[in-house]
Amino acid sequence: MRNAFADALVKAAKLDHRIVLLTGDHGYSLFDEFRQVCPKQYINAGVAEQNMIGVAAGLAKAGFRPVVYGLSAFIPIRVLEQIKLDICYQQLPIVLIGDGAGVVYSSLGSSHQSTEDIAVLRALPNISILSPADGYEMTQCMKLALSANSAVYLRMGKADLGDVHHSVPDLSWGQLCQVKPGFGEIGFIATGSLVKTALAVAQKWNDSPVWSAPSVKPLDVNQVVAICKQHQSVVVLEEHSVYGGLGSAVSEIAAGYAPTWICRIGIQDRFSQFCGSYEYLIQEHKLDINSVLVQIENFLSSCSTKPKKKV
Amino acid sequence: MSLFQPRRLRKIVLEMAYAGSTVHIGCAFSIIEILAVLYRSHLNLGNGKPESPGRDYLVLSKGHGVMAQYACLRELGWLTDADIQNYFSNGTILKGLSDAHIPGLEVTSGSLGHGLSVGVGLALGAKRQQTGQRCFAIVGDGEINEGAIWEGLMFASHFELDNLLVIVDENGYQAMGKTTEVMALGNIADKFRAFGFETRDVDGHDEVALDTTIRELVQIHSNKPRAIVAHTVKGKGVSFMEGDNRWHYTRLTPESYDAAIAELDSPELEVVR
Repeated sequence: MRNAFADALVKAAKLDHRIVLLTGDHGYSLFDEFRQVCPKQYINAGVAEQNMIGVAAGLAKAGFRPVVYGLSAFIPIRVLEQIKLDICYQQLPIVLIGDGAGVVYSSLGSSHQSTEDIAVLRALPNISILSPADGYEMTQCMKLALSANSAVYLRMGKADLGDVHHSVPDLSWGQLCQVKPGFGEIGFIATGSLVKTALAVAQKWNDSPVWSAPSVKPLDVNQVVAICKQHQSVVVLEEHSVYGGLGSAVSEIAAGYAPTWICRIGIQDRFSQFCGSYEYLIQEHKLDINSVLVQIENFLSSCSTKPKKKV
Repeated sequence: MSLFQPRRLRKIVLEMAYAGSTVHIGCAFSIIEILAVLYRSHLNLGNGKPESPGRDYLVLSKGHGVMAQYACLRELGWLTDADIQNYFSNGTILKGLSDAHIPGLEVTSGSLGHGLSVGVGLALGAKRQQTGQRCFAIVGDGEINEGAIWEGLMFASHFELDNLLVIVDENGYQAMGKTTEVMALGNIADKFRAFGFETRDVDGHDEVALDTTIRELVQIHSNKPRAIVAHTVKGKGVSFMEGDNRWHYTRLTPESYDAAIAELDSPELEVVR
């Protein structure tokens, strides 16, 4: 997925000299080709993220198309106010890349982990949020991001989990991509790294369909409503807090237009406690396949005591 | 009648502040001469319209002084008398802090430490596109408490933004008191020099000195960004507001409004000038 990102960026920057890449002294080896091919379009703004966002805003006002790269713990979290006032308020077309989202930096602790980035940005006007699950989605997300008329946050989580698609999917703003067909009673919606997990978990329920949601904001209301109406329960999975992320977005739509049991699988209201591998941290947060299965079963048994009227 | 006469600009500020029953008069008064000299003699305004693509940038990073810039925009005809008289009326667009949605204002400030970085980006963009545009950025001496300001200075210096001129309005006060008492910064010009700026100190109410210094700094051959530390008086121009930080917050009454206008209309004041 990181290659798909770097390739898409180099291709776009070669064609469009207005594209400038700003990095806060991050991205070791990721931008080697970019620096070789487009050296004049590469700016290392140093370890000074607040200023970097302001500079990107100034460059955008002067006609450039900045792509700002950082770790998602810093871009957007550290510079939220700059994103709000300098970018979003003026509706500037800037692409923000938040790398290592979720608990990718499992051994570095909470300073480098971000499980709140989607939540904080969802509440800002004039910014969209993309969260690709694999290289194919990344290619499509970069296309959308670089042609947008306002800001885009592209969340890059665990990048080496393998593909969920077999070819480049059609993707428009808001669209959910079905990655497993089916007509079962439970619908699965996931984003980023947890699309793979959703596919594995869905095997346990015969004929359960799975959608990937690379466009977390906007999110196609009609499509979510249709999914909610077709299923007794909808399970939403993300490597992000259960507050304010994709699970919340789906729940908000469901509550308004198609009341359905929504099971939100994500990071509970807590920081990581331990150090360890990515897989270890995923287990700590109960996002591994077995823990997710247990959570869903508990959820389903609690809803069955309160039967829902069939729509 | 020459444009941007400081006394007239101050009267426009008072008119706005009175109409809107609003604050920050002292913050606006300390930058009146700086803005007057920039608009009158140094800003290339292109075709004279705010949307002119090649015009120079004036970034008011200390957004609390925005009424002074509104007064200049009124002089340019970019704002109307109605805009001034209806300040803060329901449904109007001129806010109490700098706002990039207003034609002629480049940044949204008020939350401090934002404008300089955007100005740095504008200057970098102009250099890379070789448009010849300059960026003049006004920051407050309270505002430079913000760490982001020093990030911006570091960047401007490293990228040799010789088309950037930062003007510090050193009026000696910030919201809660004297800068020396709230967060003493020592010699600000020395700090700018240490960050790699070609820096001058000047009396920020002496239009001739400001004009000469800006001209010198703009013409000087150097790849450094430039800075002026303008020594100013908060509330300058009205005796009972000068150096009295209450005019950061105080609203005009009919009596104080009349007294202030009378001072600005007084011929005696003209002689002193």
